[in-house]
Amino acid sequence: MSREQYQIPTGSAGAGGAGSGAMGAGSFNAAAARDYEGGGLMHYMCGDCAVRVPLEKGAPIRCQKCGARVLYKERTKRMVQFEAR
Amino acid sequence: MPHKPPTTEELERRKIVGIREETITDVTSTDFPGHYPGEDHSWDIERFRQGFRVEFHHNETFEASFSLIGIDASIANAFRRIMIADIPTLAIETVFINNNTSVIQDEVLSHRLGLIPFKGGHDGLHKFIKWYRKPDDQSQLDSSYFDNNTVSLRLEVKCEHNDKAAAGETDPTKLYKHAHVYARDIEFVPVGRQLQYFSGEDAIAPVNPDILIAKLRPGQEISLSMHMHKGVGSDHAKFSPVATASYRLMPVITIERPILGRDAEKFARCFPKGVIGLEKVTRKEAAKKGSGYEGHEGELKAVVRDPMRDTVSRECLRHDEFKGKVKLGRRRDHFIYLVESTGQLQSDEIFLEAVAHLKKRAQFLEKQVMNMVR
Amino acid sequence: MPRAKSKKEEPVEAESDVAMEEAPTSHQPEDEMVVDQDEDEDAGDVEDDKSDEEEEEEAQRVRLLPGSTPTAASFEFLNEGHTLGNALRYITMRNPDVEFCAYAIPHPSEAKMNVRIQTFEGTTAIQALEKGLRDLQELCNVVSEKFIGARDSFGASSP
Repeated sequence: MSREQYQIPTGSAGAGGAGSGAMGAGSFNAAAARDYEGGGLMHYMCGDCAVRVPLEKGAPIRCQKCGARVLYKERTKRMVQFEAR
Repeated sequence: MPHKPPTTEELERRKIVGIREETITDVTSTDFPGHYPGEDHSWDIERFRQGFRVEFHHNETFEASFSLIGIDASIANAFRRIMIADIPTLAIETVFINNNTSVIQDEVLSHRLGLIPFKGGHDGLHKFIKWYRKPDDQSQLDSSYFDNNTVSLRLEVKCEHNDKAAAGETDPTKLYKHAHVYARDIEFVPVGRQLQYFSGEDAIAPVNPDILIAKLRPGQEISLSMHMHKGVGSDHAKFSPVATASYRLMPVITIERPILGRDAEKFARCFPKGVIGLEKVTRKEAAKKGSGYEGHEGELKAVVRDPMRDTVSRECLRHDEFKGKVKLGRRRDHFIYLVESTGQLQSDEIFLEAVAHLKKRAQFLEKQVMNMVR
Repeated sequence: MPRAKSKKEEPVEAESDVAMEEAPTSHQPEDEMVVDQDEDEDAGDVEDDKSDEEEEEEAQRVRLLPGSTPTAASFEFLNEGHTLGNALRYITMRNPDVEFCAYAIPHPSEAKMNVRIQTFEGTTAIQALEKGLRDLQELCNVVSEKFIGARDSFGASSP
């Protein structure tokens, strides 16, 4: 189960293929994919207040809570395996 | 010329390792056949039984101190080494990280988790849990985890703002929920027959619930699961059942000529507290010719009270006033062990397992040798 | 032995990720844990299991090195170190029929330990080695016997 063996699940394997096909990189996150279908929503982390910011395609890059303009991508939810050594 | 058997003093003298100001003498044991002409030093189990003694100094659950008296260093050392490196325990071996947005890196976090000592039901750990063997074929990996070779754990923590925190609060533990991740947050996920062996008091849990694993800030999250396997200390220190298992030789302090008065007080200060006591010279002692106490009745003299507490710092050898009056040494066959358990096994049990382990190894090799001849 | 896969409920983390069924099996470690339901392998006979397990690796770990004669031989032990080497050397040296006994670890990065035994006439090096290993077992018996005795008379601090 090495990291190299891992294959990114393709969007077509997911539940609703049509919408997620537009997402190029494949469904890196099932929840995000679902949101995307329902209006092209992606979540980011606010750099200032750490709140989860939903952003639509083309929306201004800005935190709705504090107005900060620095947003971070969320970490991948891919499982990574380590030896506890 | 007929051989004279050694006197008791001579036998005592042979047991002492001399400690001089800058040298150490008589380090190696001499109890081998042929070393002293005319004496029988061949191995005899009954003679060993007669001369061997165990004394306990304290025996708490996770810390035991005891002496083995009348045994050779090679055997004593084998027990010590086995306790550290060959007694198996259960520890976290693999970490599956689903999410970790904390500031501590995945691999560092995994390493930390591995070092946390765990406890669990005695029967389960000893009898139920077996060795995990990694299959040679990687594709068989998923079907190699059984309830009797793998213990599953989970850690799910998310840090959030605490709305109930007082205004102006600066303490992160009050300002946020789950600002600190502790060992007690690790959750045991029993599978199959593990429920039977590890439930209630016997559940797999960290020995010390207050070990700090990570610190979080709002929005940060740790979500992971872990597998524990059985292993030995020679593979990785996290598997060692002891924090330390060590021995030292019993110190011997011999006052050869009286140390009196202010010198006696100074002499006592050369040693840790309790090693040297001060007593008044009695009339009887003072009356004895050639004892060195003549005319000193009522004065304080130094006496050896508890040599075991000495650290053998040799401080007393540095002062001219004690020259020729004191001899330091250690008893070569008196081993004072200190076994500190990490908490999975009891200290005295660890030693007994070490003895059993050595026996089993010898037994196995005896069979192998017979096999070899065939 | 029969194995039954125990599928538990989907863990919490699954919902935010790719549906668990989609992820490669390698990513479902804790769900794939197999419950061994072999009835006769229960608590009763675990003791036997343990010894069985250790005897599994019956690979020969002791070897007589070339150039050995009956009364002067070198042995090579695999996967042994100072722990057994020194103890075995000591106990073999206490044998009055042994003229010489020593052990060495020729190279620290090879898990090998060599023992050299030379005996007087009347016995062989192999016999001396066997006696050494037997004496070691007897010694262990005495040590644990006396240890348990001393502990129990010291006081009931640990059950």
